[in-house]
Amino acid sequence: MRSSLMPLGPPVSRDRVIASFPKWYTPDACLQFKEHFHGQVSAACQHRTTGTVGLKFSKVVVVGDLYVGKTSLIHRFCKNVFNHDYKATIGVDFEIERFEIAGIPYSLQIWDTAGQEKFKCIASAYYRGAQVIITAFDLTDVQTLEHTRQWLEDALRENEVGSCFIFLVGTKKDLLSGAACEQAEAEAVHLANKMQAEYWSVSAKTGENVKAFFSRVAALAFEQSVLQDLERRSSTRLQVGDGDLIRMEGSPPETPESRKASSLGCC
Amino acid sequence: MEEPPLREEEEEEEEEDGEAEEEGPEGVLGKSPFQLTTEDVYDISYVMGRELMALGSDPRVTQLQFKIVRVLEMLEALVNEGSLTAEALRMERDNLRQEVEGLRRQAPPAGGEVNLGPDKIVVDLTDPNRPRFTLQELRDVLQERNKLKSQLLLVQEELQCYKSGLIPPREGPGRRREKNPLVTRTSPASSNKEEKTIIRKLFSFRSGKQT
Ligand SMILES: Nc1nc2c(ncn2[C@@H]2O[C@H](COP(=O)(O)OP(=O)(O)OP(=O)(O)O)[C@@H](O)[C@H]2O)c(=O)[nH]1
Ligand SMILES: [Mg+2]
Repeated sequence: MRSSLMPLGPPVSRDRVIASFPKWYTPDACLQFKEHFHGQVSAACQHRTTGTVGLKFSKVVVVGDLYVGKTSLIHRFCKNVFNHDYKATIGVDFEIERFEIAGIPYSLQIWDTAGQEKFKCIASAYYRGAQVIITAFDLTDVQTLEHTRQWLEDALRENEVGSCFIFLVGTKKDLLSGAACEQAEAEAVHLANKMQAEYWSVSAKTGENVKAFFSRVAALAFEQSVLQDLERRSSTRLQVGDGDLIRMEGSPPETPESRKASSLGCC
Repeated sequence: MEEPPLREEEEEEEEEDGEAEEEGPEGVLGKSPFQLTTEDVYDISYVMGRELMALGSDPRVTQLQFKIVRVLEMLEALVNEGSLTAEALRMERDNLRQEVEGLRRQAPPAGGEVNLGPDKIVVDLTDPNRPRFTLQELRDVLQERNKLKSQLLLVQEELQCYKSGLIPPREGPGRRREKNPLVTRTSPASSNKEEKTIIRKLFSFRSGKQT
C-alpha cells in the first residue's frame, strides 16, 4: 500500500531531482551550514518512512515591493521564461513545483504576491501557513531593500513565531557588477542577519542562481517537513505504514489551503 | 503709357474705401484664405472686374474675363462650403459642451454639492476606466481563478501520467468509478467511518478528480 502511494504523479524532470543537500549562497548570511541531510531524514527517505510528506505541499510566500521582480523570478524557475515587460501581479498568483528530494516526491506551492499597495489587503490573506517566506528586493534600488523589513514583518504576523524559513533575495543581479554589486550585497547581508534570513543574489533575466536558490528552499523545507513528521509520529507512537495515512487528519491544525493543496500532489 | 495714371486712380479709390469700411476690397486680398467669406469673394470680384474693364475691349481680355469669372465662382463655392462646415462643427461643439455640462451637473449625488472628506475620491462616471468592482469581488475572482488553476494543474499532471504510461489507459477511467471498492480493499479491518473518509481522501489522489 505504501508503495502504491509512492509514484505520485508523473516523474519529475531531472533538474528537479535533489540528491545531495544544496549549498548556501554566502556563508555570511545562511540558515544552516550542513552539507548533508539530517541523519534521521536520510534514513527515513531510504526506508520510505517519510509518511505523508510526499503528499503535501509546502507553502512558500514571496513578498516585496512592486517591480522588484518577484513574478519574473518565479516564472524563470517554474517556466524558464523571462519577460522584459512589466505586468503587475493582481492580488496573488501561484505556481506548483514538484521535486524529488532524496528519492521522495515533494512539492512547493509558491505564492506570488502583488507588491502594489492597493493589493496588499488581498495578498496578505495568503501569508498564513507559510513554511518559507521569501522577501525580494531590487539590487539596483536600495529603497526596496529598506522596505523588506516591513514586508517580512507583515508576513510573519500571520504565522507562528519561528515556524518559517526566511530568505532575503536580491534580484536583477545582471544589472550590477563589480564594486556596485559587492556594495549592494554587503548591505543586504547585513540586513539579512538582522532578519535571521538567508541571503541570495539572483537574476531572472540570465537565470543566474535561480535554480540553486529554489533547490535550497525546497531542501530546507523538505527536511523540516520530514523531521516534523517524524516527531509527530513518535509522539503519537503510531505505527508506520497504513497508520501514516490515517494520521493525516490527526496532525496539528492545517490551514485550509495546505489541506486543499495536499489533494493536488499527484495525478 | 496709360497705365500709371490708372494705377494712381485705383490707389486713391482704395484708400478711400479703406477709410470708409474697415476692410476694403484691397485689404481682402491680404486676408488669410481660411478666413475668406463670400462677401470677401464679391469684393475681390468687384475690384478685378473694374481692372478688367479698364483694360479695354481687347478680345483676349474678354476671354480672360470669362475664365476669371469662373475661377471666382469656384472660389465662392469653396468658401461657401467651408463656412457651412465650420458652422455645423461649431453647432456640434456647442451641443457637446452643453451635454458635458449637463452630465457634470448630474454627477454629484442629489443635493448638488459634494462634501468630500479627506478619504474620498470623485469618480468620473463617463470614464470607461473608472473603478467599478469591490475588493470582495476581486477576492472572489482571485479565489475562483486559483481554484481553476489548481484543477488545471491536476488535470495536466494526470494527462502526463497517461502519456508516460504510469496509468494504463484502460485502467484509468475504470479506477475512478471503482472508488469505493478500492477503499474497502485497502482498509478491510477498519469499520471506522472517519478512517474511511481519510483514506478515501488520500486515494482521491490516485483516482484524480477530487478537490
Ligand atoms: N534586468 C532584469 N530585469 C528584471 C529582472 N527581473 C525582473 N526584471 C524586470 O523588472 C520588471 C518587474 O518585474 P516583475 O517580476 O513583474 O515584478 P514584481 O515584483 O512581480 O511586481 P509586482 O507584481 O507589481 O509586485 C519587469 O519589467 C521585468 O522584466 C532581472 O533579473 N533582470
Ligand atoms: Mg508580480
